[in-house]
Amino acid sequence: MEFWTGAMGITKMRLMPGSLADGYDVFVEDAKAAEALGFDAYGAPEHHFTYDAFLPFPLQALAAAAAVTSKIRLVTGAMLTTLYDPVAAAEHAATLDVLSGGRVIMGLGMGYRPMEFDGIGTAKRTRGARLVESMEIIKLATSQDAFSFHGRHYDYEEVSLQPTPVQRPVQIWFCGGTSELAARRAGKAGLPYWLANAPFDRTEQIVREYRRVGAESGWPPDQLRVAAFKDVFIGNTMAEAEGLRKMMIDMFYAEHILGYGYLVDEHGEHVYDASEDHPMYQQFIDSLFCGTAEMVIEELKRYEDLGVDAVFLPSPQRELLASQVLPEFH
Amino acid sequence: MRVGLSWTPKPDADAKSAWATIISEATTADAVGLDSVCVHESRTAPNGCPSPSVMLTFLSRRTRTVQLIGTRLLEAVNPARLAEEVGVLDTFARGRAGLGFASASSQGAPSGRLHETIDFVTAAWATDELRYRGGFIRFPTHTPDDAPAGVSTPEPGDSYVPQWERGPVMPDFLAITPKPLAARPPVFVEIADRDTLEWAARQGISPLVKAHTPTEEAVASLQRYREIAAAAGRRRGEVEVALERHIAMGGDGDDTTVGGSSTELIDLLRDLGATAGVSHLIWNRRGPSDGDLFQFAREVQLMLQA
Repeated sequence: MEFWTGAMGITKMRLMPGSLADGYDVFVEDAKAAEALGFDAYGAPEHHFTYDAFLPFPLQALAAAAAVTSKIRLVTGAMLTTLYDPVAAAEHAATLDVLSGGRVIMGLGMGYRPMEFDGIGTAKRTRGARLVESMEIIKLATSQDAFSFHGRHYDYEEVSLQPTPVQRPVQIWFCGGTSELAARRAGKAGLPYWLANAPFDRTEQIVREYRRVGAESGWPPDQLRVAAFKDVFIGNTMAEAEGLRKMMIDMFYAEHILGYGYLVDEHGEHVYDASEDHPMYQQFIDSLFCGTAEMVIEELKRYEDLGVDAVFLPSPQRELLASQVLPEFH
Repeated sequence: MRVGLSWTPKPDADAKSAWATIISEATTADAVGLDSVCVHESRTAPNGCPSPSVMLTFLSRRTRTVQLIGTRLLEAVNPARLAEEVGVLDTFARGRAGLGFASASSQGAPSGRLHETIDFVTAAWATDELRYRGGFIRFPTHTPDDAPAGVSTPEPGDSYVPQWERGPVMPDFLAITPKPLAARPPVFVEIADRDTLEWAARQGISPLVKAHTPTEEAVASLQRYREIAAAAGRRRGEVEVALERHIAMGGDGDDTTVGGSSTELIDLLRDLGATAGVSHLIWNRRGPSDGDLFQFAREVQLMLQA
């Protein structure tokens, strides 16, 4: 199992005032540190128009990381593909792939915040179908000398990427959150699937559904790869770990998860006005794993046994993970 | 006179080797005290760069002082994204980002779209929440037809509601974030089109003449720019006047190349400063035979300043 890490977001945190430029420096230094600690990939996410100046262009930030690293893979998690022209997205990725010597992994998501679609100028309503078409286009653009594509939403005739990336194609993952619908879409298309934070039982349910649909669609098992985003908080005691989780919730998640429609209720509707005791929010909080190093190892072994190929651990406790957890897997 | 470097894609080199040269020369330029590196957006050669923001952000961590200028094409530019990209680059580069635009006619685009893009991007950097209604740009997309033309901002008097407490409303105004560290990153526009030349001169946008324009024509365009700017009440120090040239150290000049010994180069370049007001020379590199950067820095660059 591969271990990926990276930034939750590069922002000006409201409860911890500081310089955004210093935060960008920390992002780059963390990439160097993650490489030295033995992580396999380092990642960056994407959001737009936020009060905290959230990073809007992960491939651009990863270019800064590429300049000071040599081995670690550079992963977008998630790049909001439906806010890009797919060929332009492939061009950005090819540029970074050449600069980094073939180290790009594209984690591609569909986005969910209405203001982002309105600001960039694409339709939220068609995002699911456009994500699947975009992924097909990116795959074609980064693997073929020239390609044509005629879909419902995108139409290209004899397009060539200049320059071509080092990887042919660039590795892409379908970031589908914790949605079974998205997992089925990815399985049907034979695309590697990357889950968001979820309790293990829910993760297992989605992975089995993804593999079932993928197998039924004729894709070989080794193509149906799975990654999981997993917050872990490590303490010497459970109380210490829970204290760290609470700090992360207060600093980041309480605003970003509760306020922008990330949570989806049982009817498929985005929840904007959830209180902290909303069942969906409680389920989300429960998916952020707390424990001692031994408990974290045990939890991650369950993911390994499930056949998860990579876990993205955004934890600021990277040194602890590297010294106490990663050796159990390498 | 400030001095920077730029590169033209070559038909016969792959990106890996051509970009290794760019990275090497950019870091040398930084080390010897040149002032800028300029990456032109291109998707017509295997070693062209379709994503200047990605390449310049890479270079931001290999250099310390040079200004990092991307000249962009309109075809693949989303104005909101472009404003963000320069904000991100400027933050990574601690205030060293610059932005340029190729002429509209060279891209088969209307001049109005180019002018609106510059108007929107510069306003977005200087404003918090805004909307924009133009002939080519609507930001956010649902901005109504009866919104004021150009930039508008929220009316005074509304109580502030934190963004994460607003619910699923579609805001009428959005802020581009992150903002550049510099209050006004330099913006250049190629003045090959007459209407853009006149618009840029009146608006106080820095002119750029690219390497393919013959020197005689470049001088005439820059003189015309100065006349219109002066008539519009613009001060000379408001803008940088950028001229991209090939340079042949110890070689012969031609209609787009400034060539000669170091002494001759000093005289020729100072003449361009005197006759056309050139304040930023961009050396478009064709290869190592153009001349050694260390030698140029030692024998020419300082003599252009005093």
